[in-house]
Amino acid sequence: MTRTLLAALVLLVIASACAQRNLPQRAQAFASLPDWTGLWESSAARLFLSPAGFLEGVDTQDEISKRVQLTGHPPLNDEWERKYQSAAHDTAAIQAAVLSAKSCATSFPLIMDWARVFQVAVTPEETLMVFESADVRHIYTDGRSHPQKDDLWPTPLGDSVGHWEGDTLVIDTVARTPGRIGMGSNDLSEQAHFVERMRRIDKNTLENQLTIDDPLRFTRPWQMTLRYSRVTDLDRMIAWDCSHDRNPVVDGELTIAPP
Amino acid sequence: MFDPKQSVTLIGTINAFQWTSPHCWIQLSVDGPQGAVEWSIQMGSTLELYRSGWRPSTLESGEKITIVAHPMRNGSHGGLFVSAANTDGTPLKTKSAGSSTP
Repeated sequence: MTRTLLAALVLLVIASACAQRNLPQRAQAFASLPDWTGLWESSAARLFLSPAGFLEGVDTQDEISKRVQLTGHPPLNDEWERKYQSAAHDTAAIQAAVLSAKSCATSFPLIMDWARVFQVAVTPEETLMVFESADVRHIYTDGRSHPQKDDLWPTPLGDSVGHWEGDTLVIDTVARTPGRIGMGSNDLSEQAHFVERMRRIDKNTLENQLTIDDPLRFTRPWQMTLRYSRVTDLDRMIAWDCSHDRNPVVDGELTIAPP
Repeated sequence: MFDPKQSVTLIGTINAFQWTSPHCWIQLSVDGPQGAVEWSIQMGSTLELYRSGWRPSTLESGEKITIVAHPMRNGSHGGLFVSAANTDGTPLKTKSAGSSTP
């Protein structure tokens, strides 16, 4: 009787231990995935790396236009090309857009081409991109499709599903909240569709081939290659939010609120 | 908001060092002909400061320091941080960039 009880107890302990660990099948799935461990940043992030929040002596707007491809000129149709040209010369509208697109409100796809350090966690079921601004992209790789139309609504980061082609993660994103990309004149409709092909090209570089198709704005898909460098001067993620924003807009101008 | 072509040098006493998001702030009391005036100096995010070796303890209330800033265009007592040093000109004590070790 005692021996039976002891055997049952041993089995219970083994079963309990197994329940807490990955099954061999899942462990094998993990082992087949590429290692993207670490913190990553786009070249735009380096523009802001100083105690001041931007590099002294650098014309930030000029550098942003050189480094941030999403502020570039997409292949627009006639209607939106006219709007683009008109917006490019409307200083008041540009100023209003800059004020409304304050640094805390970065949506996809700009978040992938902007000054945001992010961490990537690759699992068999999903890849997570966790940004310093506390935004998280969930890219589901468990074989699911996007939700049905009734279950899907626009959000700043959109809805992303993905699959692996070798060491390349192919990400399909829809349902991004329509509107400006931010910090520029570019605008995307509710029909914008995004495909990213992301892979690690060497130990310290991730590459992201981004294609945006927007039948209501573009004459052909807009393509670009984004690169992210491994962050080597941070030992952990320092997340932040905008809970203590002291730059309210008063009479159309950014100001400083009292402490 | 700030004028990057202008710089002011402020010598004053720290009222507060706010380690906050999206910007850190130094509240600096500066003596002037009309008495003390409080300046608000805007810095980068906590992540940008951390990567530059700054910590919440880098500045303490009551400390006297010299700050160079780009002033507000509207003439109010605010500015964008450029640099800081002890009043004798020696650099502030900061850590190795982005590291938990000194």
